[in-house]
Amino acid sequence: MQHYIIMCRSLTYAQRASRALERSGIFASTTKAPQEVTKEGCNYGVKVRAHDLDRSIGLIRNIGLPTGRIIGLDEYGRALVVSE
Amino acid sequence: MIYLDSAATSLQKPEGVQYAVISAMNNLASPGRGSHGAAMRASDECFACREAIAKLFNVSQPENVVFTFNATHSLNIAIRSLVSRGDTVLVSGYEHNSVTRPLNAIGAEIIAVKTPLFDTKAFLEEFEKRLPECRAVVCTHVSNVFGYILPVEELARLCRRAGKPFVIDASQSAGVLDIDFQGLGADFIAMPGHKGLLGPQGTGVLLCKNEAKPLLYGGSGSSSRVQTMPEFLPDRLEAGTHNVTGIAGLHAGVNYILRRGTASIRAHERELLELTARRLLDTKVLRLFYCPDERCQSGVLSMLPDEMYCETLGERLAERGIAVRCGLHCAPLAHETAGTLDSGTLRMSFSPFNSAAECAEAADAVIKILKNT
Repeated sequence: MQHYIIMCRSLTYAQRASRALERSGIFASTTKAPQEVTKEGCNYGVKVRAHDLDRSIGLIRNIGLPTGRIIGLDEYGRALVVSE
Repeated sequence: MIYLDSAATSLQKPEGVQYAVISAMNNLASPGRGSHGAAMRASDECFACREAIAKLFNVSQPENVVFTFNATHSLNIAIRSLVSRGDTVLVSGYEHNSVTRPLNAIGAEIIAVKTPLFDTKAFLEEFEKRLPECRAVVCTHVSNVFGYILPVEELARLCRRAGKPFVIDASQSAGVLDIDFQGLGADFIAMPGHKGLLGPQGTGVLLCKNEAKPLLYGGSGSSSRVQTMPEFLPDRLEAGTHNVTGIAGLHAGVNYILRRGTASIRAHERELLELTARRLLDTKVLRLFYCPDERCQSGVLSMLPDEMYCETLGERLAERGIAVRCGLHCAPLAHETAGTLDSGTLRMSFSPFNSAAECAEAADAVIKILKNT
C-alpha cells in the first residue's frame, strides 16, 4: 500500500486530525473515502503516507479523537479495508 | 452617514471582511460535499472559522461551534432542544422576540424576571427566587434596547447549582464582552455573525454542548445512507449548503476581534456611550436610559424625547445623515419591564468604527432638533 486513509467520525474530526498531523510534521490531507468501500455514504478520513500510518494513528488518538477503519490505497488508487 | 445602529447590524466592517467574501465567491464551492479543490478549500475555510470562534469563546472543540443563519435560528435550535409544551421557562424581563416567540410557539409557560433597569441586585434576588419553578432558563446577556448587561456569570452559577439548563442570547455581547463558554457551563450560547462579530448578514453561530435536536433536516455531507440526521456535531445541526461566503466574511470579522481584543472594543464603545450621554444628560428635553456603572451597560443607549415621538426624532436625524433606530426594537417585553411599551425608545448603538466626533455630532443634533420644536 502507498497510502492509508484513517477514517474519522466526521469531516470536522478529520480536519482536526489532519491539522494535528501537519503540526507534527506528517503530510496529511482530509479526504472522502470511496463509497464502495465504506458502504455508509460520504464519510471522511485523513490520508497519510504508508510509512506514517502507525505514528499518525497514535497522534490522532493522543488528541482524544477516535479512529475508525483503516483503508489502504495501492499505487493504482484501489482501496481495501485493512482494519475495521 | 453617521451610523449608530450597530445593535441591528454592523454596517462598517473590517477591511478584510469584504475581501474574504469576494474571494470566497470566486474560489469556494460547497464544503463537505465534493473532493475537488474548491470544495476542500471551502471545508478548510469553515473549519478555520470554527477554530477562530472556538478560540474567541473558549470552546473546547471546533465541532461544538455550529453555523446558523442568524441568532434567531440559533435560539430556535437551543430552545427546541430543551423546552417542550407546558414546560416553565425562566427569562429576564429584557428578552427579544427571538426568545419569547419560539417559547410561545412551543406552548411554554414563561416566567419573566421583571426588575428595574440596571438593578442587578434586585434581578439576581428575584431570579434566584423563581429558579426552582422552571425547567430551563433563557436569558439575554445584553438588552438590545437598553444595553443592560445581565449578570450571566452569576446566573450560570445558579443554574449549575440547581441543575437547570441555561441558554444565553449573546446577540448584543458577542465580540464586545468576554464570553467563556466552558467557564460558564451554559448549554447553548446563541449569537449572530453580523453584529458584534462584524461578519456579513445571513451568518449566525450556536455554541453547544453535545445534546441538541435538529431544527432542519436534510443533506449534511455525511453518513448519507442513514435517513436520520447524524448524531455528531456540527453535522447534526447543519442541514443544507452552508453560507460559505458569509462564513468566510465572518472568519475575517472574528480574526479582527481576536487581534484587537474585546476589552479594547468594549472600552471604545463605552467611551462613546459616556460621551454621548454626558452631552444629553442635562438637556431636560428627553429621558435618557443611562447607567454610570460600566458593568451594567454596554454600548447601547436608549432615549425618550419629552415633546416628540421617537420616530419623528429618528426621521429628523436621518435627514441629517444620522442613522439610529426607533420603536420597540422587537423587544416588547423589555419595554414593558422598563415602562416604555407605549412610546418605544430611540436607540443609539455604537461600534468599534464610530468616532467620538460622530457621537458628539449626533448628540448635538438631538439637542438641536428637540430644542427647536
